[in-house]
Amino acid sequence: MENFPAFSPGALARLEEIKKKYPPGRAALMPALHVAQEDFGWLKPEALKAVAEYLELPEMTVRSTATFYSMYRHKKTGRNVIRLCTNVSCLVLGARTLKGILEGLYGLAPGNTSPDNRFSLEIADCIGACGSGPAMLVNDDLHTGLDAKKVIEVLENYK
Amino acid sequence: MISITINGRKIELEGPVTILEAARKNGIEIPTLCSHPALELWGGCRMCLVEIEKMPRLQTSCTVTAADGMTVYTETPRVVAARKAMLEFLLINHPLQCPTCDKAGECALQDLTVRYGAVAGRFEEGKRTFPENVDDPIIVRNMERCIMCTRCVRMCDSVQGASAIGVVGRGARSHVEPFSGGRYNCEYCGNCLNVCPVGAIMSRLHRYTYRPWQMDKAVKTVCSFCGVGCTMLLEVRGDAIQKVSPAFGKGVNNGLLCGRGMFGYGYVGSPERLKTPLVRKNGKLEPASWDETLAFAASRLLEIKNRHGGRAIGGMAGSRCTNEDNYVFQKFLRAGFGSNNIDSVARLGLLHAQGLLEGLFGQGAAANVITGIAGSDAVLTVACDPAQTNPVMGLQVRAAAKAGRKVVTIGHARGLRRHRTHSLPTVFGAEGVALAGLLKELLRMKKDSLPGENLELEAAIKEFKLPEPEETERLTGVPRAAISDAAAALKDVSTSSIIAGRELAASMDARRNFMLLAAIGYIINARFFLISERPNEQGLIDMGCAPDLLPGGRPVSLHTFRESYEREWGVKLNPEPGLTLMEMFEQAGDAVRAMYIMGENPAFNLPGGKKIMEALEKLDFLVVQDIFMTETASLADVVLPSKAWPEKEGTYTNLEKRIQKLDRALEKNGETAKEDWKILAGIGKHAGLNNMPYAASSDIIDELARVSPLHAGLRLKDLEQEGMMWPYKGKPLGMGGHVPLLPPMRTMAKAMTTDAQMPGPGPAVEITGVVLEIEKPLFHSGTLSRHSGALLDIVGGPEAKMSPETGKKLGITEGGKVKISTANGEMVLKAKIEKGLPAGVVFAGNNFREAGALGLFGYELEPESKTPVPMVKDLEITPL
Repeated sequence: MENFPAFSPGALARLEEIKKKYPPGRAALMPALHVAQEDFGWLKPEALKAVAEYLELPEMTVRSTATFYSMYRHKKTGRNVIRLCTNVSCLVLGARTLKGILEGLYGLAPGNTSPDNRFSLEIADCIGACGSGPAMLVNDDLHTGLDAKKVIEVLENYK
Repeated sequence: MISITINGRKIELEGPVTILEAARKNGIEIPTLCSHPALELWGGCRMCLVEIEKMPRLQTSCTVTAADGMTVYTETPRVVAARKAMLEFLLINHPLQCPTCDKAGECALQDLTVRYGAVAGRFEEGKRTFPENVDDPIIVRNMERCIMCTRCVRMCDSVQGASAIGVVGRGARSHVEPFSGGRYNCEYCGNCLNVCPVGAIMSRLHRYTYRPWQMDKAVKTVCSFCGVGCTMLLEVRGDAIQKVSPAFGKGVNNGLLCGRGMFGYGYVGSPERLKTPLVRKNGKLEPASWDETLAFAASRLLEIKNRHGGRAIGGMAGSRCTNEDNYVFQKFLRAGFGSNNIDSVARLGLLHAQGLLEGLFGQGAAANVITGIAGSDAVLTVACDPAQTNPVMGLQVRAAAKAGRKVVTIGHARGLRRHRTHSLPTVFGAEGVALAGLLKELLRMKKDSLPGENLELEAAIKEFKLPEPEETERLTGVPRAAISDAAAALKDVSTSSIIAGRELAASMDARRNFMLLAAIGYIINARFFLISERPNEQGLIDMGCAPDLLPGGRPVSLHTFRESYEREWGVKLNPEPGLTLMEMFEQAGDAVRAMYIMGENPAFNLPGGKKIMEALEKLDFLVVQDIFMTETASLADVVLPSKAWPEKEGTYTNLEKRIQKLDRALEKNGETAKEDWKILAGIGKHAGLNNMPYAASSDIIDELARVSPLHAGLRLKDLEQEGMMWPYKGKPLGMGGHVPLLPPMRTMAKAMTTDAQMPGPGPAVEITGVVLEIEKPLFHSGTLSRHSGALLDIVGGPEAKMSPETGKKLGITEGGKVKISTANGEMVLKAKIEKGLPAGVVFAGNNFREAGALGLFGYELEPESKTPVPMVKDLEITPL
């Protein structure tokens, strides 16, 4: 374990589990990246290098994979990450208003972090909740049927 | 037989190939952007779409295998419309900068746009932009021009195995870059820019200096850096090499090159090249005319011969010189001065390694085709790092690993660290013990059931006294489980390749090492390959640049062989073998009064550096022929400027024993210098030798074919294509080439087992402490690359490399100064901490002035072959 000082002990334990489940490095790459993202906050170069070293993969393979998927973060984010869907059904049901509220209330522009570092906003292309839009993810929690009032109520639970 | 119709033409195919290949073989052009002969099938760019009857949609001809009865059309209106549409998509983002782009004129996209005319697009939105990236000294990236064919990435990943570049991002924003996003941390093989169809990845070395159509010529030749002998094209304009290009489909390398070959040509045009002969007058080297110098050298050599006899003259032949140069060199000394004191850097290990293998398996035992390595079931590398020393041979090993074959490395093979299945990382000097351990495990697993093909060898194998696993573990530092895993991986393979480094022969245990290697090779049915660090090291051996061998590997002591040479050369030859390389230096000023050194720098490139310098100073007369003022040349009495590799014609023999032709690429460059053989013939003429009447280098090859039975079938015109493989239609030594020269192996085995105990690693090694090893770098080669600007941009100075653990142990940090001192001297280097290096080893190179780590080594001579075995005494490595 002391061979990988870049990771916290908790993250290392999870990585061990992942490696056991998906023995080839390539197969374990995506879940390992999620662990690294949580451990480092975002996928900074050191995080990618640590994953590469841990899985014995070329660093470039790790970076290529990480930059392809939109759920990996390549910028420093706030404490909570909001992923607001603006795809067709959410848009029709009022996602644009919600975007305006987030901007007005928390100073959040898409792709940016609020000045108090509390929230980061990402615009998502469909999170699979089209039947109950407008919808957003805050960290890993799904919130549906949002309106101007409910979105504020929900976000007040995230400090 | 498969029969298809393309554009109404019936085509018969021998076997299943893609439609694209079938068309191209028959002269039907189908445009492509993403497919490349060196890469796997891809089908990404959609330019090669064709119409196939009975298939409703257009098909990518590069991925569809031709089937019997197929009818294909390659240029129907539908196909043309599709291609035009694809080009329109590509040109949405591709800037129309052709007037300022270096690629214009050899750009696939430009050619296709001209052909299909999609210049005016309908896309009105803006183009994506990326700033041009010039963070790297060698490679410039312009990602606006990238069309995402991913040839470069696939090359880097699956062929080079470096995985240094990749696609970053997705969709329209995707682009190719190295991990850092700026400077490359890669092997600089240049294969990415060689396969880029557009101007997205290009070399900075010749940027904005020419247009492709202004090039005067492209000359096919063989690389001048290592013993693989890669075929390459030298593109020449204004009598200077503008760039090196690959020759895909040709040569042992099939177009692949390494950093040295691709970017290292700068030395040829270096202003530091020697231009005029120099003669020492009043202690200083002064310019002199050719005639005066040749006459002076001849008279001094004659004087020494007359006073002390021919044996007082010694010679060191050149591993970068051609076969022709080296043939004339040994003839000059043998026939001209009656001296057999002729040797070369092959003495450092290759000669002995080859001698031992040939003694066991017959002449030509290590003459195997490099391209066979990738197809082996298993590859075993011992005491070498093929991916660093002979990089393109290393690619073969990587290809084998990629195909899922077993790759076992013994010793430190950093270049294979991601391309092997088993690693037995012994320290330098203990490789033989690891071999013994491996053999023991193999025999145990096979329950002594051997192939039954060579009973004598099997009897010998059974007499080996091999160390117990605990003993092996203790001596090598490799866990016994790792050794038995490796043995398990090797035990059932049906074909394999063994690659051995010269260090295995530069050992007091050389004979034992090679017997063990031979035994393992026999059990796993291996072909042998010997690492060769210089382009014509093999040629040195074959041309008779050894004290006991005439050209063709014939012993000089045997009258029957000597006779034919005496007839041809018109003189009686000295039957007594001469002094070996190190003996000459040891006896300098004593039995040896004069030395002639051609294209070598022994003062720097041999162990015991200071001693060699002192030896050279003791000589009455020293002649050095070189292209640069080396450490050795600066001690000479006469320095003669010779032509460099692209300035002369001749042949090189690579490590497969393949003879290949060099073609002259430059006419005026180095015009004040002379070919090495011409210099020798010139001195010979002044010394009254009239048996070197060569008008051209081809005369020398003709003479070689007349006199050397091995080269009897060698004709220069047969070398044009792929060169000629051993035995060149000649007669190898012995009956059918299979009679061993050395005593049968069983006698050897008996002799060995009476040594009671398995000797441990040499005195250079302390497993518990820190050891010093010579780094065989990827980007430098001897002292020649000091003059190649591009290689200096990649690695600019000497470094002491070590792993983080070793650094910690020694108290050394990245970039700090390290003092390395031994009984032989000391030097200060910059520390480089590198992950993945073996613990307990400090690596230092032998390339840069005042920083030759080989000079820190002393040596002892292996008694049988007089191979110098490098030794370190009183090693101290301390931070400064």
